[in-house]
Amino acid sequence: MSLVKDFTKGIYRENPVFRLVLGMCPFLAVTTSVENALGMGAAATFVLICSNFLVSLFRNIIPSKVRIPCYIVIIATFVTLVDMVMNAYLPDLHRSLGIFIPLIVVNCIILGRAEGFANRNPVLNSIADAVGMGIGFTMAMVVLASFRELLGNGTWLNFNVLGSAYQNQPLLIAILAPGAFILLSFILGFFNILEKRKGGRQ
Amino acid sequence: MAEMLKIGLILMLVALVAAVALGFVNSRTAPIIAIQKELAKQSAMNSVAESLSPGDSLAFDSLSIAGLENPYASCDNTLSIVKISVPPDTTRIGYVFIAFGKGYSSTVQTMVAVELEGSISNTTILFQQETPGLGANIVNPSKLIEKFIGLTASECLLTKDGGGIDAMTGCTITSRTVTNSIRNGLEAMNETGLFSSGDTGENPSDDVLEPAAEGGTE
Repeated sequence: MSLVKDFTKGIYRENPVFRLVLGMCPFLAVTTSVENALGMGAAATFVLICSNFLVSLFRNIIPSKVRIPCYIVIIATFVTLVDMVMNAYLPDLHRSLGIFIPLIVVNCIILGRAEGFANRNPVLNSIADAVGMGIGFTMAMVVLASFRELLGNGTWLNFNVLGSAYQNQPLLIAILAPGAFILLSFILGFFNILEKRKGGRQ
Repeated sequence: MAEMLKIGLILMLVALVAAVALGFVNSRTAPIIAIQKELAKQSAMNSVAESLSPGDSLAFDSLSIAGLENPYASCDNTLSIVKISVPPDTTRIGYVFIAFGKGYSSTVQTMVAVELEGSISNTTILFQQETPGLGANIVNPSKLIEKFIGLTASECLLTKDGGGIDAMTGCTITSRTVTNSIRNGLEAMNETGLFSSGDTGENPSDDVLEPAAEGGTE
């Protein structure tokens, strides 16, 4: 039961982006298209599962005073290993996901979940938490990326939606950095209203 | 004191395990990565040079050219030119070189196939790590690089810089980098007298060139 709860809370109730406001760097950087959002989401979820697993496994060995440096070493090592192995054995996948891999190291969702969940919960729950958070992160990125790609390029997942007339004069700011902040603030505002309504009724 | 020592030792142990794991995997994967890179380079070379002589299998020989100035010194790269021929005939049909330029967030590498008289036959992006969704669109040929086909060195200039090539919208830096790096390479080649003037159709004399090493064929 608690496994299911640990899994589902990442998707809405504790959504890493919309509720916890974690991992903004990669979130703002790669949400220019839905394809990138899915790629980054898949790569981050994979690393999140592995780092939560390792941190949870060693949670009784690592002294709490030096836990943060240990987590950083574990995450950075893991990401670099994934990068090297992928580059050697899956060059095609590396070509399309390669740019996201260095970004994962600075994704504070991964450190945040290691610190906030995995270091005091059993291995299975930590993995459930990682999968839920990963899906929540991916969904959040797809939401923002959908708006940005649609407005800024007239396409969704590379399918032409708004027609070539729109594509000649798109709302380019949506793809540029300011557009990310403007759209993100609208989405965060929407979720805050949603929460307030919910709180008012209870 | 004893506790501090214990904590320090554990931290050292974690770092040690991480370092050993990284070193081990790196020693295993580095040669494979190098091979993959070389393969990618070879296949890019074949795909850009194909336009010079469609349907033929091509031979590539690296050339060392006396007096060739390296326009990419700022990117820690040298200009190396590869001669293309159709075996068994060893007559040159064109050249391939890699243009390097510092873009928005990476050094963009563009592979360029050049006709004997100095116009661009085809280009492809070999490496880039520009912003996803913006500069990274440079890999899509219709965005910019297919506009280079048929141009000579002096025509490789963005509209913003007084030329005739429209930059990708929102990505002037990446577009300018690629355009200028190709122009620099072509100009350096032109200065050594590598290109025949278009109207005579004659090949430049072969004594300017010395084959440096046997490159991989095909």
